[in-house]
Amino acid sequence: MKLFRLLLMAGMIASAAQAKVCVVTTLTDLADFTREVGDDLVEVRSLATGIEDTHGVPMKPSFVPVMNRADLIVLVGFDCEHAFLPALLEASKNPRIQKGNVGYVDCAKGITPLDVPKSTDHSEGDVHPYGNPHYTLDPVLAKTAVAEICDALVAFAPEHEAEFKRNRDAYLAKLDAKIAEWKTEAAPIKGAAFVSYHEHWPYFAKRFGLKYFGTVELKPGIDPTARHIEELVSSMKAEHVPIVVGEPQFPEKVPRLIAEQAGVTLVKLPIMPGGVPGTDTYIEMMDYIIKTMVAAVKK
Amino acid sequence: MKRYLRRVVLATALLTPCAARADGTNGALDALKQQMQQLQQKIQELETAKTSAPPTSVTVPAGAVTPEQLKEVDEKVDKVVEAQKKTLMSEFNPSIGLVGETVFSYRSRNSSETSSNRPGGFDIWQRSVELNVAASVDPFAKGYVVANASADAATGESTFGIEEAALQTTSLPWNLELKAGRFFGEFGKLEYIHDHELPMVNRPLAIDQYIGGESRTDGLQLNWLVPVEHYVSWTVGVGDSFGGDSPPSDPGGFRSIDELNYWSRLSTYFDLTPDWQAEMGVSGLFNPRTNDRGGIDAQTGPGGLPMTEHERRLGGLDFQVRYVPLRDNQFRSLTWGTELLYSDNRYLVDPDGTPGDGDEFSRSVGSFGMYSYLTWKLHRQWSTGFLFDYVQNAENEHDITYACSPYVTWALSHWNQLRLQYTYTDHNAVSGLKSDDAVYLQWAWIIGAHSHGWQQR
Repeated sequence: MKLFRLLLMAGMIASAAQAKVCVVTTLTDLADFTREVGDDLVEVRSLATGIEDTHGVPMKPSFVPVMNRADLIVLVGFDCEHAFLPALLEASKNPRIQKGNVGYVDCAKGITPLDVPKSTDHSEGDVHPYGNPHYTLDPVLAKTAVAEICDALVAFAPEHEAEFKRNRDAYLAKLDAKIAEWKTEAAPIKGAAFVSYHEHWPYFAKRFGLKYFGTVELKPGIDPTARHIEELVSSMKAEHVPIVVGEPQFPEKVPRLIAEQAGVTLVKLPIMPGGVPGTDTYIEMMDYIIKTMVAAVKK
Repeated sequence: MKRYLRRVVLATALLTPCAARADGTNGALDALKQQMQQLQQKIQELETAKTSAPPTSVTVPAGAVTPEQLKEVDEKVDKVVEAQKKTLMSEFNPSIGLVGETVFSYRSRNSSETSSNRPGGFDIWQRSVELNVAASVDPFAKGYVVANASADAATGESTFGIEEAALQTTSLPWNLELKAGRFFGEFGKLEYIHDHELPMVNRPLAIDQYIGGESRTDGLQLNWLVPVEHYVSWTVGVGDSFGGDSPPSDPGGFRSIDELNYWSRLSTYFDLTPDWQAEMGVSGLFNPRTNDRGGIDAQTGPGGLPMTEHERRLGGLDFQVRYVPLRDNQFRSLTWGTELLYSDNRYLVDPDGTPGDGDEFSRSVGSFGMYSYLTWKLHRQWSTGFLFDYVQNAENEHDITYACSPYVTWALSHWNQLRLQYTYTDHNAVSGLKSDDAVYLQWAWIIGAHSHGWQQR
């Protein structure tokens, strides 16, 4: 009898766990948004841990069973995950989350992309045909992604619509307050120019009024040549560019060399939560980015 | 307003008699009359004001949306709608890519001394020009074609062929996936990788010996992702042939079901740490009756006796350990891959070379082959590695070849790659072949669409 009760309890616990919406996200910022909206009604797993390149998350076979059971796959879109997601989706053998089905949640829906290339010719490097995909570094656009995730959760589990919408509204209000705070904090660096390794920052620069001067990479996905470095350093000197941003996903050697030669500050900024210690959530990450940029300009 | 006031007056009139009785005075009634008159006067005033006053503008409460703001939002919405409408010119076409691969080489011995199909000395070989086309067929399947043109070793003439042309399901239930057509069957690890995607210049010798180049087949393959928490994949397949240089059995004759090739592979994977991965698999290939397969009908076995292959059996064990750092895997990684193959083919030995005269007997040849390679990526553009090959001849296990090949790869970009490789090949005395040195420079390039599927990861 005791055994029967235990089994019954185990069954109930298991079914309660199963009742959660199983969500896989490609990157950690989307995982954070999903947790905020879904709270304890969702079980979230991110393929990236935060320290990977957004275009280079390793295709581990251990992701396959996780994606096989997923109800939703939440992605950045604009081809951000082109190097790993299509193959993983194929291997997952999960029709629910294939492109075109309700479980495929493309957060780029509703975002007006920046830097849409006129040509996808490889002479321009590994360009994103739909435009720059790093829009979540703009907290206002991140709100669109939050809303998209909420809509997808509501569509999948309409019985929890009220909870999801309440959580979404609370998080968006929190984000609005933080955006106002970040804008105030970033006011002193308005107009400051900076260089980064990869083209991660156009949306961020536009939102906070910074000038995105250029990249260490010659073209997206193409390593810099000696001539490119030389030209970049001399133009940075001429234009008094004060900051080089080195994303932790890329080797520090070349950004450091450029910063030293140009006599400017090198800062390391995460591109998604978890990229550097103390940035486990999106808000913590944006706090870190703003504070670091402000401190770098003040130097 | 008028109606409201009348109601107030009526209610007051109904409620007040009690009070009036309580007071017991007529003064109260007078007061009521007076109030009624005042109210009627007020109503008249309001009505007059309403008809005579000019229309007033709507006052916007503080914090409400202004028309300018509405216009701005409208513009933004329009932009988003336009962005959603945006399509690329190739949106509705299949993705198309072209791969070219040229191999420049120098071999110290001529082909008769090395059994190579390429000449000795200097050689420039357009190994392949490969056209890849892929698209979804419908919501249930995708299709892809790989057409290949390469230069004939002897004449230099281009030969064009279909390497792969297959349909692959995308929405079967129970974690199943079916592939049909011409494709590279799943056996081992490097068998189903196209030449230009190999980590070295040439396919390992053991694969060439036992499979016959890449694992090409005209067949049907079913893959099952085992529904457990751990990654386990199981594939079974059946096909006319198995191996790019290994034609089907009994060409042109009546082919019974036991003359087809059957294969299977079971593979699994472990995350050793977040940065270290281990993957392993076991594969088997069986062709119960291989009479006349690929013209292997007059081999000379040990002792110089003529023999014919009549049963093909091959087993394989592969494992791969990889260091793929999460943080900067595009700049550094390490891969160690090894595959062990055991061939246990059955041959019919005919001592006098006259079929059907009763002196034939069956002979089994167990032969072993393996390769092991280590590739170290030390920069986004640079990697280096070493390949070791060992293989016994499938018809004569005493005929042994081994080779060592260090190589270095310079990837100018993802689509443009140069590889320099040195290979020392040695044969034992039984083979009758001589050792040789070779230097290869492989130049591979890609234009158009190119993506790595799950198998090529």
